Amino acid sequence: MPELRKDPILGRWIIIARERGKRPTDFIVEDVETKGGFCPLCPGNEKTTPPEVLVYGREPGMPPNSSSWQLRVVPNKYPALVIEGELDKQGEGLYDRMNGIGAHEVIIESPRHEDRFAYLPHEQMILTFRAFQERIRDLSKDPRFRYVMVFKNYGKAAGASLEHSHSQLVALPVLPRMVVSELDGSLSYFKYKDRCIFCDIIRQEIQQDVRLVCENREFVTLTPFAPRTPFEMWIMPRRHNSSYTEQNEDSLSALTDIFSETLRRLDACIPGIPYNFVLHTQPLRSQPLEHYHWHFEIVPKVTSIAGFEWGSGFYINPMPPEDACRYLREVEL
Amino acid sequence: MADRKKILLVDDEEGIQLLYREEFEDEGYQVQSAYNGEEALEMFKKDPPDLVILDINMPGMNGIEVLRQMKEIRPDLPVILSSAYQEYKQDFGTWASEEYIVKSANMDELKEAVHKYLTA
Repeated sequence: MPELRKDPILGRWIIIARERGKRPTDFIVEDVETKGGFCPLCPGNEKTTPPEVLVYGREPGMPPNSSSWQLRVVPNKYPALVIEGELDKQGEGLYDRMNGIGAHEVIIESPRHEDRFAYLPHEQMILTFRAFQERIRDLSKDPRFRYVMVFKNYGKAAGASLEHSHSQLVALPVLPRMVVSELDGSLSYFKYKDRCIFCDIIRQEIQQDVRLVCENREFVTLTPFAPRTPFEMWIMPRRHNSSYTEQNEDSLSALTDIFSETLRRLDACIPGIPYNFVLHTQPLRSQPLEHYHWHFEIVPKVTSIAGFEWGSGFYINPMPPEDACRYLREVEL
Repeated sequence: MADRKKILLVDDEEGIQLLYREEFEDEGYQVQSAYNGEEALEMFKKDPPDLVILDINMPGMNGIEVLRQMKEIRPDLPVILSSAYQEYKQDFGTWASEEYIVKSANMDELKEAVHKYLTA
């Protein structure tokens, strides 16, 4: 019997379409296509990118944009939103418009073309999480921006266009609808129960222990109760905090450990699986929020979205999160 | 004639080929035409151009794959992507190009870019 489940934060319904015997190997993943050729993100090709806005690991004495580095952040060469200009907000009857102002940056996570994010050594992977913080802090000084969306596309089906490991961020002059819904949903719960809904989820998931994939001293990874796709996972800090940029170095280290383990578990279940991850954090320049809790959401791309999903907002997920969790926990690393 | 700069024009549309060829020959350039990616790579290897104007959406190998192969061999060769579509800008493979210019009836932007790279 299929089951309807409701996400307690967003109120979004999904359908768990239980299919007998569905195993990780039943999901078809396209082979990672390596087209080869010139890579604009590789060391030595720095002049094909706009000048870097952040770099880690450059050897002392080497000039900016030279080829010794461990991580670079560069603006998008052909951005959809432009950094220069005013918003010039206008009303046109009941419609709103403004200039397409924004910042779109690319985080080049490793100098090595063949590296995969999930398998980066700890000291390399932590640079990415540090860079996210540093860029959000810097962009928050720009009063035109209200939110920085940080995300990664891995694999062609998830939207990645180059094999060289990278993630992206987009600073926006508005709050994305999904962020507003999450803030509203968690505030509504807080007003009713005087507790953070994310803290309650973490407490309950640890207690029930049926959707808890892995954990360490600072973080938990769980398959949410109402996931959009098979193997969707959330990485959440145990301690309440609404802002990702507030995390100290110790916390980033623990985040790196659990992120690495989580992605390796996923890859061991379905080798080469494409995925997106997105950072969910409070809006820029917000005071600490009692009702909101920063976290990462990892959404693998193994199912397609068709008319019913677009029309209803329901996702159809052929694998219960409890089963997905079991596979993820039992897999050998 | 021999010192005229050579442009390799890669586009599967005959109308674009005719228009661009006329315009750039009038500007004093030598123009060679390729109608798909495979043909372009062959011509690029046989008779190296000074600059490439490259369409993206073509049958067979697309322009971004062609771009990456050309740059692998000649990283300093100026390549201008010329597409009717904006959305390929989301593909970071396009970063290997010097410019990404959306096709327009007004060729000023394209001509300006060609002059910039061929007089540098």
